[in-house]
Amino acid sequence: MAMGDIAFNLLIFFVILARAQDDSHLQWTPAKADNLENAGHTMVSVLIDSDSKLYLNGQQIGVAQLAGQIETALGDAPQGERSVLVKVHNDTLAQRFEPVIEAISEAGGDLIHIVEEQRD
Amino acid sequence: MRVARTTKLMVEPPSSATGDIAFNLIVFFLVCASVQPDAGRRQSIPSSETVDEESKQTENIEVSLTRTAVLVNGDVIPTNRLLSRLKTLLSGKAQPEEKVVVVKSEPDTPYSHWIFVTSIVEDAGGIVTLQLEEEREIQVPG
Repeated sequence: MAMGDIAFNLLIFFVILARAQDDSHLQWTPAKADNLENAGHTMVSVLIDSDSKLYLNGQQIGVAQLAGQIETALGDAPQGERSVLVKVHNDTLAQRFEPVIEAISEAGGDLIHIVEEQRD
Repeated sequence: MRVARTTKLMVEPPSSATGDIAFNLIVFFLVCASVQPDAGRRQSIPSSETVDEESKQTENIEVSLTRTAVLVNGDVIPTNRLLSRLKTLLSGKAQPEEKVVVVKSEPDTPYSHWIFVTSIVEDAGGIVTLQLEEEREIQVPG
């Protein structure tokens, strides 16, 4: 019986560990667009939440550090494998999200805007 | 040989297996939650470069965004006519540098409006390029 408990606790430990790199707990509402494609596997995720706070892979960060951190995360990944997921709350203003987009392109990242399918 | 038919319809699993069943259920739901794919729009934005106001090229299409409106080369265009307007302007332009569409947003432009318009620009065949105002610190003598 103790074997099951150990396995269960190990599982919880790894789930919490994985959650630190995850941004699924952050609050944001995606904008709508059409002609969407599957984002596939990416190493980097940038998120601006409903409070206009900026996160890189679930960790809060300043826009000044963003380009450098993305460059480090992408490393020497070849073209086509430098995708960066961009998740922006739909009401975020240009003065907040444009410098973020600029920082991603400066770091050589390929932007994938995570949005919701537009339904007419 | 005839096999006797059993009438026992429900068989309770042994109680010692409850922990294993719960563990497998947790793993199953975790896997389900983690493989949910994200859908999005791929966008290629050229790396930034500083261009002086005087040396700025003027032959590119310029799309200006305000909080609710869209202006193409200074003319207000309804969003339902934006795609056709951009397609007309981009027709006959074969070189990638001719297809550059400069997008300039007012600071209060919401992301939902921005992504809607830039999606239309890309669907029309344009290459989105952002024009950002550079912040300069000016010291006023006094």
